[in-house]
Amino acid sequence: MSRAQIITIRLALLALALAAWQLLPRQGIVNPLLLPPLSDVLSMLGTLLKRSQVHEAIGVTAAEVVVAFVIAVPLGTLMGVLIAESEYLGEVFKPVLFYVFSIPKSIFLPMFILAFGITFAQKVAYAAFTTTFVVLMSAATAVESVKQEYLLVARSYGATRAQILRRVYVPCMLPLLLEALRISMIFNFTGVMIAEMYASRTGIGHMISGWGENFQMPELFAGVVLLAAVAVLFNEAVRFFEARCSTWRT
Amino acid sequence: MADLSQSGIAPGRHGAAPEKAAIEVANLSHVYAGAQGEVPALEDISMSVGAGHFVVIVGPSGCGKTSLLMMLAGLRAQSAGTILCHGSPIPNPDPRRVGVIFQEASLYPWLTALDNIEFPLSLRGAPRAERRQRAEAMLRLVGLEGFGGRYPHELSGGMKQRVSIARGLVQDPPVLLMDEPFAALDEQTRMTMGHELLRIWSVTAKTVVFITHSLTEAVYLADEVLVMSARPGRIIDRIAVPLPRPRTYEMMATDAFGQLRERIWHQIRKAD
Repeated sequence: MSRAQIITIRLALLALALAAWQLLPRQGIVNPLLLPPLSDVLSMLGTLLKRSQVHEAIGVTAAEVVVAFVIAVPLGTLMGVLIAESEYLGEVFKPVLFYVFSIPKSIFLPMFILAFGITFAQKVAYAAFTTTFVVLMSAATAVESVKQEYLLVARSYGATRAQILRRVYVPCMLPLLLEALRISMIFNFTGVMIAEMYASRTGIGHMISGWGENFQMPELFAGVVLLAAVAVLFNEAVRFFEARCSTWRT
Repeated sequence: MADLSQSGIAPGRHGAAPEKAAIEVANLSHVYAGAQGEVPALEDISMSVGAGHFVVIVGPSGCGKTSLLMMLAGLRAQSAGTILCHGSPIPNPDPRRVGVIFQEASLYPWLTALDNIEFPLSLRGAPRAERRQRAEAMLRLVGLEGFGGRYPHELSGGMKQRVSIARGLVQDPPVLLMDEPFAALDEQTRMTMGHELLRIWSVTAKTVVFITHSLTEAVYLADEVLVMSARPGRIIDRIAVPLPRPRTYEMMATDAFGQLRERIWHQIRKAD
């Protein structure tokens, strides 16, 4: 099948899903109280985006997401590089980190509330905590993708340490690191949402869980559409760079 | 078999007159720290490689051939003894004096063939135009004109090793060290690459030290074959290969070729 055909089919499926979302509740085939039609959801989204309360919530959530990300990515990368590069640290910490990685992080959420209260810091700390593990694992894998031969070749051509870092480590690891960035944002966003929905006074996650409890389905779906759009946009933006940096990967 | 060297077969074009040595190794030994204390890896190695000569080192796996090569390249320090390259030691890698060509897959997969070849030049900040020009010339030399824009994964095994050779030659070092460069290639490609290497060698007049496991390859390529023992590696035999040059595939079927191959095989079996 050609690329154009595949894209056509994809768009057709999307159109079909959106049409079903619009028509099934309108025709009463699906209960519109449970699934409001698409047009209602979109007009609700327009209304919500005009409310200052929603602006505030978006601002708070965005700040939490960004701060948690800015903490988790360098921290996770540093730890990942250390356990991959240092044989000693790797031996000591790798098994422990793998065990902790396998535990669902949400069970630690109550502890974060006890430690930080229901605050901005609680959301950030929890999201950063869940994200750091993902970044750490990916960074360690990225370092391990740099083969010994690559380093030997660079040294045999007289590369300095800085040159080896810049000319070998960075280009070799870049596609994997970008992938890590993308996936860690998914975890990070999820972390903030869970923390907000579990216990919060503000933020989009808090609003969504409130709308759900109060059976305000148009508002709930409008929130879902908004978050989905933001998440997909970020993901695709990073994927775009990823593809440009990894033409050499098979 | 020693009479072969006096058998009247003309030695290689380099073999006749006494020449200045490009590489001189004297009483080199190496010991490394293993789990059960010190392990002797190389023992009292002395060898001399004349300028422009093609010397092949063979020996059982783990005999320290690669370690020796790393020391010749300045990539590893020996415990004792001296290595001189054109009269002076090589304490650190010096790509303008010694080029190293590694086993398979040492090309950078994120660089195109041309960028891989340019890599050594870019490390020392050569101007872009000069780099490109040099790299293009090397690409032509190894017969890959028009393939400069390909990434390694778009090249065959033989083509990749041609790029590796071009990268090793790009700074024009008088000495080339090659660590089983064709080991991962299929038999046919391997023979072709050996032949190509001899062609490139004959036009560039480099001193070559070449490590291999293949006895046929050793005899086909070498002016002289050094046989190493199992660990600790020592040089237990030096076998001159007086076959005329240019070498041809037909020579492999000759008695002289067979006898040389047999002698090396005999020594290696003893060594193992």
